[in-house]
Amino acid sequence: MSEYNDMGFKVKDCSLITRMAGVKEAMNLRELEERLRVCPDECLFHHFCETVIRPTFDYPDYTNDFALWAGSQLRDKILAERLSVLNPYKCKSVDELRQQVLDILEERLSETDHILWAPKNRAFQFLQAVTVVFETDIKLNRPYDFYEQLPNMSHGSIYYHFIEARRRTKWMVDDFTAWLSEFELEVKPLIKTLSEIDFYFLTLAELKNTLVAVTTEFFKEAKHEKNIN
Amino acid sequence: MKKTLINYEKIIGPVAISKLRQVARDLKGASVVHVNSTREGGGVAEILFWMIPLMKELGLDALWEVIEGNAEYFNTTKTFHNGLQGNDVILTDRMIRAYEDTVAGNAERLRPILQDADFVVIHDPQPAFLHELCPDKRGQWIWRCHIDASRPNRAVWNYLRSKVNNFNASIFSMPDFAHKLDHPQFIIAPSIDPLSDKNIELSDKEIKDTLQNFNIDPNRPILCQISRFDRFKDPIGVIKAFNLLNGAFNAQLVLAGGGATDDPEGAAVLEEVNQAANGNKNIHILMLPPDSHRVINALQRASTIVIQKSLQEGFGLTVTEAMWKCKPVIGGNTGGIRLQVHNHHTGFLVDTPEGAALRIRKLLYQPDVISKIGQTAKEFVQENYLCNRHLREYLTLMLGLRKGLANHLIAG
Repeated sequence: MSEYNDMGFKVKDCSLITRMAGVKEAMNLRELEERLRVCPDECLFHHFCETVIRPTFDYPDYTNDFALWAGSQLRDKILAERLSVLNPYKCKSVDELRQQVLDILEERLSETDHILWAPKNRAFQFLQAVTVVFETDIKLNRPYDFYEQLPNMSHGSIYYHFIEARRRTKWMVDDFTAWLSEFELEVKPLIKTLSEIDFYFLTLAELKNTLVAVTTEFFKEAKHEKNIN
Repeated sequence: MKKTLINYEKIIGPVAISKLRQVARDLKGASVVHVNSTREGGGVAEILFWMIPLMKELGLDALWEVIEGNAEYFNTTKTFHNGLQGNDVILTDRMIRAYEDTVAGNAERLRPILQDADFVVIHDPQPAFLHELCPDKRGQWIWRCHIDASRPNRAVWNYLRSKVNNFNASIFSMPDFAHKLDHPQFIIAPSIDPLSDKNIELSDKEIKDTLQNFNIDPNRPILCQISRFDRFKDPIGVIKAFNLLNGAFNAQLVLAGGGATDDPEGAAVLEEVNQAANGNKNIHILMLPPDSHRVINALQRASTIVIQKSLQEGFGLTVTEAMWKCKPVIGGNTGGIRLQVHNHHTGFLVDTPEGAALRIRKLLYQPDVISKIGQTAKEFVQENYLCNRHLREYLTLMLGLRKGLANHLIAG
């Protein structure tokens, strides 16, 4: 019997507490490249993956902090676009991600005849974060509970179980999928739909809406067909 | 209103309270001593005023101690403050002696409490020397820097660095303010207390009476900047922006400054502001005593637009306060104001008096935009800058120092 089915799926919430990564700030493209070679894995993860959970209004023109800085401070849109299209969740390891970023930076450095600088007071600050995990009152015992409780889950819960889980779990899958996989074959189409969500390019609000939509659709159809609960 | 979790729950909700309880569970009984340099005036005192009772209710043994000093000590710490913010200051041996002698005098009184505490939180530079003066400390010492120290005067920073480098951790309000130190540096933005006199709901009568007391017309647009009379807050720039309106919309400007016992420069700046106002009857310059929280609250609530045109700013709690009261903020493009004011969402960031005048005109011309931005601003504060988030992060940091700083920290 699995851990989930023994005790049900206890939904967690999370928040971040941020700290400096111990790497000197970068003022230009060359410094960014040098610092990225040595920054901790957690720092790379933070600037690529934890950006979605921070308070901001700006609609993400670019999907990670390096791309954002390249676009807004170095004013290098070519570099920003190349960095932005990188999907860290397609990399098998942080080393692979780091190498891909470095390749892009080196390529860009070789293309430009002068080093691009950020304005005064707009240096890139290297950060990392601790994920603080909280209990919630939400517990899922059967797949239908997932459909019912999704609207009640916070953005922190969605981030923790659907995104952050991929870093935490052995198979790099989200917690919802891991849990649903232990049920009858009837939920397999839902699992497949979840796996097709291109979440990296969504805000947490958009991701939550997408999860609610696909889950609602699945259970509406399933009820018609086999009355899955 | 009393600072109890049940009273806060009405505003921040049960989930936020549950998170606080979870993270505090493993800290029950821990002794925490906060030390700063004033009980009244300034953002730090306001934070400690709510943080101490809440920490106590969550089961921690929290204390607030204040450094006592004379004018020479406060002049020196003001030099530290200005120097950390990048001002060209001169730090003499005599000043350092005055500072160290004063802190040493306080250490005689505080040493037993500080050495025995599980956590000591030193706020800003004023009490930092205490660390060296408590050789038998058993707990973790945290330096909390509330100041924008991104480009400090080197002499001031080199001296202070030698005093804070051996702490166990430090906290800065923004990554840009942090400095390389030999310990973990955390980023925790400050917050406001929705139950404080400065932020609690007020009756229309109280707001009206306040305006009447200062001869401010409630029927004309009110532009308001609340802050100490300090050059970094650019009150002269605000008057320039107001003059650029050329009487449009028949607006009034209120510049209201609360004094703090550790700020000897206030009177000189107030004089400069009076000269710049040049007797204009539409400019109200109010020097408020440090306990004028409800007056400030009323002035913010009565305002049409709140301005915080700082040239340099730690975080800018007056911005947070105004946003909590559904006011659009026109803020200087600096420091923590950039975290809070997002163009077209919660207000506008400006770099010049001309920029401020432009945004004021735009907003006064579009009252529906004022109310839309104001509503968004309040929601943004509710989500990110209320005291529960701030306290949770302090507790998390303490828990992290106790358990070890891994990638994940399970609360409770």
